[in-house]
Amino acid sequence: MIAVFWVCAVLSVAGGFGMVFSRKAVHSALWLALTMINLAVLYVSQQAEFLGIVQVVVYTGAVMMLFLFVLMIVGVDSSDSLVETIRGHRLASVAAVLALLVLVLTMINQATQSLALNIVPTGLEGANADEGGNVQGIAKLLFGRYVFAFEVTSALLITAALGAMVLAHRDRLTRVPGQEELSRERLADPATAAGLPAPGVYARHNAVDTPALLPDGSIAENSLPGALVLRGTTHDVREEVAVTRAAELASDPKQAQEEQS
Amino acid sequence: MGVQLPFPTPQIEYSLLLPVLVILGAAVVSVLIEAVAAESLRRTLQPLLAFGSLAIALAGCVGLWDQRQVVAQGALVVDGPTVILQGTLLILAVLGALLMMESRVDPAGDPFAARASTIPGSADERGFGARRQTEVWPLFLFAVGGMLMFPAANDLLTAFIALEVFSLPLYLLTGMARRRRLLSQEAALKYFVLGAFSSAVFLFGSALIYAATGSLDFAGIADAVSADPTSGLLLSAGVALLLAGMLFKVGAAPFHQWSPDVYQGAPTALTAFMSAATKVAAFGALLRVMFVALGGAAWDWQPAVAVIAGLSMLVGAITAVVQSDIKRVLAYSSVAHAGFILTGVLAASPKGLSGSLVYLVAYGFVTLAAFGLLTVVRSPAGEATDVQQWAGLAKKSPVTASVFSLLLLTMAGLPLTSGFTAKFAAWSAAWGGWQTGVVVIGAVSSTIAAAFYLRIIVSMWFSEGDDAVVVALPGLGTRTVVGVGVASAVVFGVAPQLLLGLVDGVGVFLR
Amino acid sequence: MTASPALLVAVPLLSAAVLLLTGRRSDRWGHWLGCAAAVGSFLIALNLVLSLAKQPHESREISQTVWTWISVGGFNVDVTFTVDPLSAVFILLITGVGSLIHIYSVGYMEHDDNRRRFFGYLNLFVAAMLTLVLANNLLLLYVGWEGVGLASYLLIGFWQHKPSAASAANKAFIVNRVGDFGLSIAVMLTFVTFGSVAFPEVFAAADKASSTTITWIGLALLLAACGKSAQFPLQSWLLDAMEGPTPVSALIHAATMVTAGVYLVARCHPIFDLSATARGAVVAVGAITLLMGAVIGIAKDDIKKALAGSTMSQIGYMMLAVGLGPIGYIWAIFHLLTHGFFKAGMFLGAGSVMHGMNDEVNMRRYGALRTAMAVTFGTFAIGYLAIIGVPPFAGFWSKDEIIKVAFEHSWVAGGAALLGAAITAYYMTRVMLMTFFGKARWADDAHPHESPAVMTIPLVVLAALSAVGGWALLHVVNLETWLEPVLGHGEGELPFSSSLLLPLTLAVVALGVAAAWKVYGAGADIPVSAPRGSWFIRAARADLGGDLFNEKVLMQPGQRLTATLVRVDDSVVDGAVRGIGGFTTALSARLRQAQNGFARSYALVMVIGAVIVALALAMVRFA
Repeated sequence: MIAVFWVCAVLSVAGGFGMVFSRKAVHSALWLALTMINLAVLYVSQQAEFLGIVQVVVYTGAVMMLFLFVLMIVGVDSSDSLVETIRGHRLASVAAVLALLVLVLTMINQATQSLALNIVPTGLEGANADEGGNVQGIAKLLFGRYVFAFEVTSALLITAALGAMVLAHRDRLTRVPGQEELSRERLADPATAAGLPAPGVYARHNAVDTPALLPDGSIAENSLPGALVLRGTTHDVREEVAVTRAAELASDPKQAQEEQS
Repeated sequence: MGVQLPFPTPQIEYSLLLPVLVILGAAVVSVLIEAVAAESLRRTLQPLLAFGSLAIALAGCVGLWDQRQVVAQGALVVDGPTVILQGTLLILAVLGALLMMESRVDPAGDPFAARASTIPGSADERGFGARRQTEVWPLFLFAVGGMLMFPAANDLLTAFIALEVFSLPLYLLTGMARRRRLLSQEAALKYFVLGAFSSAVFLFGSALIYAATGSLDFAGIADAVSADPTSGLLLSAGVALLLAGMLFKVGAAPFHQWSPDVYQGAPTALTAFMSAATKVAAFGALLRVMFVALGGAAWDWQPAVAVIAGLSMLVGAITAVVQSDIKRVLAYSSVAHAGFILTGVLAASPKGLSGSLVYLVAYGFVTLAAFGLLTVVRSPAGEATDVQQWAGLAKKSPVTASVFSLLLLTMAGLPLTSGFTAKFAAWSAAWGGWQTGVVVIGAVSSTIAAAFYLRIIVSMWFSEGDDAVVVALPGLGTRTVVGVGVASAVVFGVAPQLLLGLVDGVGVFLR
Repeated sequence: MTASPALLVAVPLLSAAVLLLTGRRSDRWGHWLGCAAAVGSFLIALNLVLSLAKQPHESREISQTVWTWISVGGFNVDVTFTVDPLSAVFILLITGVGSLIHIYSVGYMEHDDNRRRFFGYLNLFVAAMLTLVLANNLLLLYVGWEGVGLASYLLIGFWQHKPSAASAANKAFIVNRVGDFGLSIAVMLTFVTFGSVAFPEVFAAADKASSTTITWIGLALLLAACGKSAQFPLQSWLLDAMEGPTPVSALIHAATMVTAGVYLVARCHPIFDLSATARGAVVAVGAITLLMGAVIGIAKDDIKKALAGSTMSQIGYMMLAVGLGPIGYIWAIFHLLTHGFFKAGMFLGAGSVMHGMNDEVNMRRYGALRTAMAVTFGTFAIGYLAIIGVPPFAGFWSKDEIIKVAFEHSWVAGGAALLGAAITAYYMTRVMLMTFFGKARWADDAHPHESPAVMTIPLVVLAALSAVGGWALLHVVNLETWLEPVLGHGEGELPFSSSLLLPLTLAVVALGVAAAWKVYGAGADIPVSAPRGSWFIRAARADLGGDLFNEKVLMQPGQRLTATLVRVDDSVVDGAVRGIGGFTTALSARLRQAQNGFARSYALVMVIGAVIVALALAMVRFA
């Protein structure tokens, strides 16, 4: 049990550090998953099987995956500046945290040393036996002694849901045009009646973030999806088009003359 | 396979839990109303529900007057201090709700953003105009429910959940100001991040205390503390972190830095409620933890609390001197007040308990009224909170200036105001022994504090004003809030016996 | 029928409330309401004092408990107003001089838009001051103490459009906070030591407390007294306070509020009786201030500031006397009363001069006003004779006694008092000469004229009091016996024959007058005493050299001394006061920097806080 503790404890702390120091959000999330899995192992090794499994299922399985999905959909990149602007802040932070750590650890150590002989990791064996199993024991606490706290956590969950709603959702001010209306609108304008050009397909870029080129070689900005344009993640092809164009003209002097005249 | 043991049905004393249950139940109903009712209906239904439930809860609270019992399987305690604190919280909540409803002072609408999700400054935001986000009501009710639970909680786990239940809605509401929304959102985020940090510290402390005493129950901790002195250091480590977590909520220095930013950024109506009620709830819980669970270890924690009390009083008073924004001045003064109340906690005696309770009640109403009054002084850009904008206010509205002067003088602790009663009650408990030094620091900082209160008063009466600043005529709600604050300041000052007797009569914490 | 002491406070308070709350609506009649309230409370005071006089000599007291303010366990604070012989003289002084000044202000403030508000503040002041002297416990006294501070503050800053007035109000406020701090410490110490703050209980138990505690309470009370009474080292605010309207200077900063410190020490004399150290400190403060104030009086050209210096100095006399123990208490109060008469009269006279001279305060722009303002001149002259102590004017009786008891105490105290008398004679003569005699040095647009009757009548009344008040108080009212039940009685012994004292004092005063005459009477067409005068006139008429000589030999050392003292006052004492403020502000700005708006930095501070808490907890265990 002691060996398991030292392996998992070190790993989980390492996971914590990894989470904090990773530059990419996705990496952080994965490091966090490492921490959680190790915690789960620790729980199980102390005969808290239910908790260990819940830890894996809920945190590692559901919560962390949700994190990852969100990160990928929102597309958070590492563009946040990590340069510390407050002079001496990092040093002071490290010093303060170390001071707290040393202080608290010293206190804990002093206390446990005086009790050193009495401290034997007992796990939950005894408790589980008393209550007729781990799950039963937890159930008894959760629905007995702590039932009120347990019920009140629902308030927390409702608040969280409500908060997410408030911060993200809003009712529409205008009516959303339906599909029929949209197509009518499109057909009414000769310029768009045949549909918008599809994004470009090139040798080097084969993606929706690259604009199409019209037959005369000009760039069709309206071929790009609106969302990407707003976010500013489209590919700028002007330079490449210009280079290609120059090469074409060089290989075909006749056309170059036409262009000049 | 385990053996099937009979599971005793948990006993919940519903009648004794009435205030908490009514408010939390109303909050859930309120969420349902959000889901099904039309916006126009919600605008009337939600406040009705809120005021109705608050009234019922208050009545229930009065009914608990002489109940002394541990309830809900030991999760909560109903005793004298609980009733006083819950009653105060409910009245403060009613007043806070009145401020939240105020829509006359600001031509743009009520204090909250029409839709918190719109991007500040966008066409979308303008499109919603003066409409209201009625979701503030369920959030408000959840916050009130959590606050009612916090000072009644009888174990660290329930305390932690109560703490989260009232904190989370407050984080959200902070970010929902109608005006100066970026400032508001920034404040909310800061509050949230730092609040989460302090919650983690609180949990860490609870874990260490559990390790030291083998119990999360306050009574169990108290037994272990008196029975087993060898676990002292482990306990001390736990107490240190627990204190750090709780002192964040009461806004004591050096855990106070969020409060000026948050008080300034949050919608003023909410700031008013938050500054008064959070302090009442958090101090109530702090008192219970320190007196019931850790009363046997008072020698251990008194020096730490003394240091924090002294720091809070000095930092609060000194920093307020150079502030130019009245909301920030009030925020720093609330830091100093946290220190003054901690002086009562420091006494670790029944007298200290009643002194702190008196202070909380007196301070709560006055500070709520002071923030409430801030909303009526307006410039075209919204509330005029710069001290310079308040210059010459006495010429524009002598009533506003007089009332605000009175409230400030009360906070300064002028005799014959409730502020004096409060300071007297808290300090006389701590006077004597080595705590005397802390009281002297208190006297020095209240002298400094008087300087900045007076500075505002002087500029209101003795300076030339800015014509762009006007005093809006508030609705009945705000007037009630201010009236109650002024009345409490005068009545509890002139006849402090009313308050002192009330608090002395309820006795001490039940173990 | 005996009136109620509470009514005495209630009348001006109600009037103040009406005046301040009704706003512009009461502009037309507000000042008359204010006057009526003041006169009304004077009548009530008169009634109370007459009833008091009918009681048996040893136990004169009228008490009224309005309500029990605080009652916790065994600790009670009642709002009780007590009229005893000591407070009796005060309520008469406050309401009597107060009424005169109210009436005078009707004329003086006639052209001020905010006259009503002015009267509201004046009434507020009267109510607070009455609370202060009628309080039968320290806490209620503290309420009155803060109340007069507030009223004084509002009135100094009354002409808020003048930046100097606003800053003077602030300075008065800050300096007074230091004094108030002393009082709050005294209240707390008293409460802790005796378990009560009521005067009778505290004084009855005073001899049971340890002498160290008593000394500390005494010193804290002295600090409070120094703040309110503008005594060294907290004197600096009084000179600036002259920015307020002149009636305010007369009422608050001459006759009543600034004497509250003397009252406090006299009221708490059982404490001071038990502590020689505290008494010694009071004497030292009094002696230093009386000389300092007098010297400052020489240096000022502003008539009100010269009078303010004189006020400091005269209160120094009272403090000195009150610090001498039982032999001095009665004379301190006696001087306080006569000073109230003549100094109020002189301030109002100065106000009358200013009224006629377009609010000019610089005495170098006065001169030869005695004909243009006959009444003012006459009344001012009586005040002048009273203050320098010419028999039989009021000041003679009181100051002479103080000098006597000071010599009974020690040569140093007596010497200081005597020297003070000489300087007083010098600077007051200077004020007299520069204002009413010599050549007219008026500004071009000045048309000096006598003030209206509403202003001159109070002047005449006060002048009459200055003339005969001292004698009457001593021989008609028998102040000595009147105050004895409260303040006790002591006999001292002069170190020299008592028949020498009167000639000595008069000689010193004459010397001061003569010196002033020599310097300031120079270019004036006033007859001077023959031999010295002839030399003086010769020298002056001969050439500027004489003037130069005068300047060099007679004026400059004095001026240097005064300039130095003023500088010390400005830089060291003010500096200390401002320094505390500055230090606080600087620290505040420093702390504000920590509030940088970054959440990560706040979190860092929180961790540091957790370290502090953990450290404090660990220390207990490791220690």
